[in-house]
Amino acid sequence: MKPTRLHAAWAPWVFTAPFLLLFLLFTAWPLLQSLVLAFQQTFGPRSTRFVGFDNFAFLLRDPLFWQAVRNTVIYTAGAIFVQLPVALGLALLLNRPQLRGRALFRLIFFSPSLVGLVFVGLMFHLMFQKHTGLINAGLHTLFSSWDPEFAWLDAYIMPSLIIASVWLYAGFNMIYFLAALQNVNRELMEAAEIDGAGPWARFRHVVLPEIRPVAGFVVLLSVIGSFQLFELPWVLLNNSGGPGNNGLTIVMYLFQTGFLTGDLGYASAIGWVLGLILVGAAWAQARAARKEISG
Amino acid sequence: MPRPFRLRRRPTPTSFLPTGAWIVVLVGVVSSAVFLSWPPTERPGREFWIFSNQRLTDYESAIADWNRDHPDARDQINITLLHLSALERRMMAAATADAPIADLVEGERDLVARVFAGPIEEVGFVDLTDRIAAENLLDQFNAPSLSPWISRGRIFGLPHDVHPCLLGYRSDIVEAAGIDVSQIETWDDFYRVLGPLIADLDGDGRPDRYLLNYWENQRDQTQALLLQAGSQFFDDAGHVTVDHALNARVLARLVTWVTGPNRFCVDAPEFTAGGDQMRLEGTVIASIMPDWLAGTWKNYIPGLAGKVKLMRLPAWEPGGRRTSVWGGTCLSITTTAPDPEKSWAFAKHLYFSPQVAEGLFRSTATISPVKAMWSRPFYHEPDPFFSGQKVGARYIREAPFVPERASSPFNTMVMDRLMVVLIDLKAHALEHQRFDPIALEPEARRLLAAAQADLEARVGRNVLYRPPPSP
Repeated sequence: MKPTRLHAAWAPWVFTAPFLLLFLLFTAWPLLQSLVLAFQQTFGPRSTRFVGFDNFAFLLRDPLFWQAVRNTVIYTAGAIFVQLPVALGLALLLNRPQLRGRALFRLIFFSPSLVGLVFVGLMFHLMFQKHTGLINAGLHTLFSSWDPEFAWLDAYIMPSLIIASVWLYAGFNMIYFLAALQNVNRELMEAAEIDGAGPWARFRHVVLPEIRPVAGFVVLLSVIGSFQLFELPWVLLNNSGGPGNNGLTIVMYLFQTGFLTGDLGYASAIGWVLGLILVGAAWAQARAARKEISG
Repeated sequence: MPRPFRLRRRPTPTSFLPTGAWIVVLVGVVSSAVFLSWPPTERPGREFWIFSNQRLTDYESAIADWNRDHPDARDQINITLLHLSALERRMMAAATADAPIADLVEGERDLVARVFAGPIEEVGFVDLTDRIAAENLLDQFNAPSLSPWISRGRIFGLPHDVHPCLLGYRSDIVEAAGIDVSQIETWDDFYRVLGPLIADLDGDGRPDRYLLNYWENQRDQTQALLLQAGSQFFDDAGHVTVDHALNARVLARLVTWVTGPNRFCVDAPEFTAGGDQMRLEGTVIASIMPDWLAGTWKNYIPGLAGKVKLMRLPAWEPGGRRTSVWGGTCLSITTTAPDPEKSWAFAKHLYFSPQVAEGLFRSTATISPVKAMWSRPFYHEPDPFFSGQKVGARYIREAPFVPERASSPFNTMVMDRLMVVLIDLKAHALEHQRFDPIALEPEARRLLAAAQADLEARVGRNVLYRPPPSP
C-alpha cells in the first residue's frame, strides 16, 4: 500500500480517536448499561434481578410519572406560547432602527442568560416567598387588597416556573429571532408597504414566513430544553417536586427515583421513555420542516 | 527479462500517518502515562465523614485525644466535612456501585434508611447488634433513639442524638397578654388559650399574628405531629399501614389548622430569612422545636434572646404524649473499612465522651442519647436565651417518651405520599367549605386508602428488600 493510501485510511480514525474513545466510554457504554438496567431491579452490583418489561409496565400505570409528564407538558406549553412570543416581541421591538440605545437594551434583556439556573432558582425562591417575598410584599404595598400569603410556590407552581423561565430565557431566544429578523428581505417589506400592507399584514405575510425556519428551530430547542427541565424547579421548590408534586418534572422524577430512592432500573426506564419522547419531537419537527420546504 | 533496479525510499513515520496524527498519538500516550503514574492521594488512617459543620469543632478534641493515644498511622482518624447532599450521593454510590466510601460515616435518618433497601446481607454498614449486646450497651442508650437504625432486627448504627420536641414560644408576647401557658394540655387548649393573640395589627382586615408555625407543605413538622399522635407508617413486618383511622383524624385536624374559620397556623419556614423575620416580628407565636432547632435559634436568631421560652408539646388528647421527635443521626462503620474493631472502638470513644456531649449541647443544644450523661451539670444550667429555663433538663425529661420510628427504606416515599393526601384534603375542604375535622375524616380515609394502594404497589416492586417475617 502506498503511503498516501495509508494516510487516507488511518488519519481520520486517529484524529477522531480522542472523541470516539470518550464518546464510547462516557456516552455509548453508559447508554448501553442504562438499557440493560431498564430491564432490571438492582441494589448494588451483587443484587440484580432481571424483571423484563416490569419497569416499563409500572411506568405506564404510575400516576406520579403521568403527573410529571403533565407538569412537563404544561411547562413546555408555557415555554412555547408565553416565552417565545415574549422573545419575538422583544426582538421586534429591538430590531427597530429608530430605537435609541438598542445595543444597551439587547444587553439588558440578554443578561439573565449569563447567570446560572441555580442562581435564578434561588433568586425566584426568595422573590416568591409568602409575606416577605419581593413580589407579594411589593404587590401588597401597591394594592392593600393583595393577599401577602398568595401561595406562588404552593398552589401556583407552574405559573411561577413559567414566569421564572420567561425572565431567564426570553432574552436568549430573542437573539435567535433578532438574527432572523435582520435577514428578512427588505425589498419584500418595501414592496408590501407600497402595496398598502399594514404592520400586522407585513408581519403575518412577510416577516413570519421569512423567520419560520429559525422559529421552528427555536421551538424545537425549547421543547427539548423544557422536557429536560430539572435545576430550576429543583432549586425553586427546595429540592422537591413541591406541594402535591405539582412542580415535579420528568427529569426530577427520574433523579428522585434513581438517586434518592436508589431504584436505578426504574429510573433508566423513565430515561429511555424521555429519550423516545425527545426523538419523537425532533422527528416531528424535521418532518414539518421538510414538508414546508417541499411546498 | 530482469526487473529494472528501482531505488526505494526508506519508510519514515510520516509515510504511515501525517504529522498531525502522530501528535495526537503522542499526546494520548504521554497523557495516559502521566495519568497512570500519578500517585493516588490517599491519606493513611481512617476516614470519618460528617455533614454538620458544627460537629467538626465539637469532635476536634476527642479526635485529637484518639490520635494521640493511637500513634499508628493506620489508626489515625481523618475527619472530613461533606454537605449532606454530597454525603447522600457518596453513600448511594457506595451502596449501588461499590464506590469508595469512608470507614466511618455519620448519616441522617432518611439517608441511612435508603441503605436498607436491599437484602440484609448487602447493607453496607457493619452489623453492630452482637457487639452492642456483648458489651451491654443497649440499656445505656435511650431506647426509642435506636429504632431508626435497626433494620430487620439488626442494629447498623450508634445513635448520635434523641431530638425530642418541645414548643418554643414568644414568651414576651404571651406574658404581656397575661396568658398562663400552664393551662395548656392539648392542642385544643392551645387554640383556646392563645387564640386571643391572633390579631389584625395593621388594620388591613387580615390577621398579622398566628399561633403556630405550621403549614401543609411542612413535611418534617407533619411527621412529628403524626408520630406524636401515635401513627406508625409500617407494621412489624414492614408493610405500609397509612390507611388508618388515627392518621385520618390527625390529617383532618391539621387541615383545619391551616384553613377555615379556626385557622391558627402560618407558614414561617425554618432556615429562611423570611421565616426568621416573621419570628422576630412576632407574626408567629410558637414553633415545634426539637433540641437541635433550639440551638439553631440561639445561633442564628440572636434577636430572640430573652423573648422565648419552651413548653411541652400540647397533646392530641388529654393524657396523651407531650413530645415528639424530629431528625436523627447515627454513626455507622462501613463494611469496606479495614479492622472494624478499631473503628468500633473509635465510635464508642466519640459517642460516650462527656466532653463531646457537652460540646454538642453547648453548640447545638443537642442532648446525648446516652442516659448516663443526663445528670451532667451542663444540661441543668439556666439558659438566658430561653429566659433562664434549663433547656437541657427540659429536653431530657421528654427523651424517654419520644416515639419510636421505623427504619424502612420507604419512609421518605410514605411521608411524601401523606403530604399529598394532606394537600388534597385541604383542597377538598376549601372546595366544599367543610372545616369541621369530623366531617373531613371520611374524605381523609378515602384519600388514605388510595395512598395505601399506591404505596403497596410501589413497595411491592422491590423484589430485593425482604422485610422481617411476621412475628
